[in-house]
Amino acid sequence: MNFSLKTSQRLWTFAFLVVPLSVYFVVVIGPLLATAWLSLTTYTFSAFASPEYAGLVNYERLLGDDYFHISLKNTLIWMVAALILPTGGGLILALLLHGQVRGANVFKSLFYLPITISMIVIAQTWQWMYQPDWGLLNTLIKLIGVEKWKVFWLSTRGLALGAIIFAWSWQQVGLSMVIFLAGLTSLPQEMLESAQIDGAGYLQSLRRIVIPLLLPSSVVVVALAVINSLRSFDLVWVLNEGGSGSSTLAVQMYRETFKSLRAGYGSAVSMVLFAIAAVIIVFYFRRVRRLEHLYD
Amino acid sequence: MTERALVDVTVSERDRARNWSRVALYAALIALVVVYSVPTFGVLLSSVQQDREISRHGLWRIPETVTLENYERALGGTNVPNYLLNSVIVTVSATAVSIAFGVLTGYVFSRLAFRGSEILYLIVVAGLFFPPQIVIIPLQQLFSRTIINDTILVLIVVHVAFGLPITTMLLRNFFSTIPGALREAAIIDGANEGQILLRVMVPLMLPALAVLATLQFTWIWNDFLWPFILIKNDNARTIMAGIVLLKGPYDKAWGLQGALSVIASLPTLLIFLFFQRYFIRGLTFGAVKG
Repeated sequence: MNFSLKTSQRLWTFAFLVVPLSVYFVVVIGPLLATAWLSLTTYTFSAFASPEYAGLVNYERLLGDDYFHISLKNTLIWMVAALILPTGGGLILALLLHGQVRGANVFKSLFYLPITISMIVIAQTWQWMYQPDWGLLNTLIKLIGVEKWKVFWLSTRGLALGAIIFAWSWQQVGLSMVIFLAGLTSLPQEMLESAQIDGAGYLQSLRRIVIPLLLPSSVVVVALAVINSLRSFDLVWVLNEGGSGSSTLAVQMYRETFKSLRAGYGSAVSMVLFAIAAVIIVFYFRRVRRLEHLYD
Repeated sequence: MTERALVDVTVSERDRARNWSRVALYAALIALVVVYSVPTFGVLLSSVQQDREISRHGLWRIPETVTLENYERALGGTNVPNYLLNSVIVTVSATAVSIAFGVLTGYVFSRLAFRGSEILYLIVVAGLFFPPQIVIIPLQQLFSRTIINDTILVLIVVHVAFGLPITTMLLRNFFSTIPGALREAAIIDGANEGQILLRVMVPLMLPALAVLATLQFTWIWNDFLWPFILIKNDNARTIMAGIVLLKGPYDKAWGLQGALSVIASLPTLLIFLFFQRYFIRGLTFGAVKG
């Protein structure tokens, strides 16, 4: 009886896993390994030449590639901005909306509504802000009487990346807010109240009690923000195709691979992207595991 | 004057201060929301204006005439209805299959752990963090050799695979909250794992499935990267790739672009309006604990 139960459980386990995991390994893990291999070749999608091992030649070329330097720098800038704008903004919104604010739900809904909207539509939305002739920003600049009102937000070096990151943060802030709000709701309320009765000022109780207790939420917010920033392709592509110094690794990977057909080189860019993601994965899992033990 | 009265004074003063800070808070919040909503408003505004009005007077003003002809053009003169249909098919089927797969894997990782299952679980969940770009080239090569190349089936397969990490993680954690005694009782009654999953577990997890359905629907509907890279055939294109493609020929058709954006956003907006609670629960899942 016991033996057959075990056997039957094994069979069910196999039956449950085989299809989903096959799909996952064929579509995600296999291609990931294939990309690692392609990054060591000079493959160009040619039908006549299969990929041949070329050593670290692509990675050596990355070191001297100015376009790559810009993409890498922009990706890192984006990650840092992700920590400041949406994360900080989301925390402030969550603190404002937490507690007995009447109508808080309406406010919350309006702030997180953009999360449900596609980056493609977000891009469209911000085109109407940045459009040179009649975009809102230039309309306002003209209105206050600045003579040279026509700013080319998306095609000026130094402005383009910032403009794109701002649009992105506008969408992401709701996500951070929601997660921080959930974190705040789970905090022991007595703790906050007793701090206030003790006469701890608002900022002090924030710094000493609320922020440390929000640490688990912060880990999630930060990991999400950074990962989402690594993925940033849609928005950049639609807004200015990575021109004017606004390219990111994801955009460069696309350009090298599908515009210049340098699949090997594009794969090397992908692997850099993966390396950064891997750091986040390790950080996240170790952090979360530690926190889980704390709660056990 | 007694001590009592003194206390009353300070209390009412404190109340007044509190009221004022409350008013200030509302004023700040309303101002924030208004500024925050302005960009969204621009898309709505452009969708009901004529292009020549916009080019003559600019977009950001109260329009003299309001028109629906942009919407008529969007749905009548282009392949948009077809894009929408493709999006519906891809989104609904990939959502359903990825959740069904997640039920199976989540159940195993939670209740039928075996040697090495923990590592396997981590490999699956790590997929949450992969930028999809890193598998594009081999995937494109892989599909180009199959019979499903350049059809919506390709998109369904990709979305199912990339949905597996989130569905597995959420459902594993969900299964872990269901008391083990339920399963043991069913085993004693002679039920096998398939029956336990279908008859005991699934009825208990409808809320969790609703959470996942809203999340998956939203991500898949909004996706642009996969159809952009993997689909060349216009008849297999989904709406997000479609509206980006239409930006080329309709470069100056601002009204049309606005209308397309509104049309493309409606399904996820409706889902959000009706299932907001589930959506938020999905997003905040893990915020408090792993």
